Amino acid sequence: MANLAVPAALLVATVALVPIAALSAPSVKSLYSEAQATEGATLYAQRCAMCHGKTLEGTWEIPTLKGRFLNNWNHAPVARLFDYVSKAMPQMAPGSLTPDQNAKIVAYILKENGAPAGATALPTDTAAMGNATIEVK
Amino acid sequence: MRRDLFERRAFLRGGAALTGALGLQACTGTTGPVASASKLYRPPIVPLRLTPDQLIDVKTCIRPFRAAGPNLSTEQIGDTLVVHNYGHGGSGWSLSWGSGEVAVGKAMSVLPKEIAVIGCGIVGLTAAVMAQRAGLKVTIYAREMLQRTRSFRASGSFTPDSRVALTEPAGAAFPALWEQMARFSWKAFRTYLGVTGDPVAFHDSYGLSDTPIVRREHPADPSITDSWATKGLPQQNSEFLHLSDRIKDIVPQMQPLSAEENPFGVAHAVRGSEMYFNFASYGHTLLGEFFENGGTFVNRDFHDPSEVTTLKEKVVIHSTGFAARDLWHDKTVMPVRGQTGWLVPQREANYSIRYKSGLALSKSDGVCIMHFDNELGEMQGVGNSLELPDRDDVLAAMADMAPIFEKKGA
Repeated sequence: MANLAVPAALLVATVALVPIAALSAPSVKSLYSEAQATEGATLYAQRCAMCHGKTLEGTWEIPTLKGRFLNNWNHAPVARLFDYVSKAMPQMAPGSLTPDQNAKIVAYILKENGAPAGATALPTDTAAMGNATIEVK
Repeated sequence: MRRDLFERRAFLRGGAALTGALGLQACTGTTGPVASASKLYRPPIVPLRLTPDQLIDVKTCIRPFRAAGPNLSTEQIGDTLVVHNYGHGGSGWSLSWGSGEVAVGKAMSVLPKEIAVIGCGIVGLTAAVMAQRAGLKVTIYAREMLQRTRSFRASGSFTPDSRVALTEPAGAAFPALWEQMARFSWKAFRTYLGVTGDPVAFHDSYGLSDTPIVRREHPADPSITDSWATKGLPQQNSEFLHLSDRIKDIVPQMQPLSAEENPFGVAHAVRGSEMYFNFASYGHTLLGEFFENGGTFVNRDFHDPSEVTTLKEKVVIHSTGFAARDLWHDKTVMPVRGQTGWLVPQREANYSIRYKSGLALSKSDGVCIMHFDNELGEMQGVGNSLELPDRDDVLAAMADMAPIFEKKGA
């Protein structure tokens, strides 16, 4: 019984520390604006949903843009995601969307994956994005 | 409309030379019913059920086609040696073992104990297993395992020179390398014959036609002056490299059937023996071997070539197929769309037919249906990266072929 008491005490301490650590951590930097994501939702429905699905769910063959998507992109530079979308998508006509449209679509995808919106919109060129990374959790 | 947009029919005016040809690459020219050299009896044929209710899946994919043929070069990225192994067009399955032999050989030239493979399509997975057989510890980093890759949306027969390269860009040395890879793969596939689940098998393959069957030719159309060199995409069939004659001593060739031997109610027929792959069984078998040998699979997506230096392995075989176009910024990878429909398996009808615009290939994982535009030939799907299925297209092929069996039952 005495042996069990020690881990139990550690567990309590760990649980207690979590909120404190979260409070003291710098807030996650927002990468896009709410208005941008809203417009992105419309564009997504028109240009992306035919393959990736209405709720970004994907299929057996086509990648989901939620869940596993985050595993692939969290902590990656947002400029890299924007660059990829700009060059590779929509797959049947890659590069056919404007930088502004691509930024809106990326904003929508970020929102759907839980990235926080902010006052500043996602820029429409990679240089302006700098090294900012996607940080959801 | 979509086909007109994407498949560049306009470039193929004058393609009438292909009319009536079945795309059978090795049957000799005939001008009517011919006496077969053999005196075989007419084999019993179980009719295929080519009815819409049997259609249970439509799969669309993109062949990763490079004008110069697959990229098998090496590249140093920081402290990491990258061995490329991608861009096999419609020949990825068929060349997977031979190509893996080349790639693993290059990887082993720096004497690694462990290597990484990026990509888990048939080319990546096969290279991974081959590296293990050579004694290396292997980790595959990929977005998906084999069953969800584009490889699994192929048709699954041995077609080692299907859209593998264009003649001019491939250069004079490529045919010999291709032959080496094709012969190596052929022997490797034979080691899976008779294995539980039949991952690899043979069956009879029939070419059927209402008109005399002639060997497919690829004459250049002089009215088409542009080419891959000027447009970045091939413009006509004559640009494609055909190499299958180099291995016709081992790969069974189509033979004309006499009326007595022809089991179908169609005027003209040729028959060959065809090696094919049962995807479900093959996938389980190969992945099983990979994990049995201590292989590790890591779900990871790469976004830039520089990311390979973050891996603990310092030798990397890069096999991402069509994805290499964006990951490695290789704009020489061009899309060639392909589509297959799948009927409920009909294992009692174990053969394939090609008739009019359709192909039906009966395998343990289903009857594969393909729809060909005989006018477009090799140009079908070139430049088209639309990966959404078109069910009506499959039904059109089935409708073209169905009368064969209706006649027989009449």
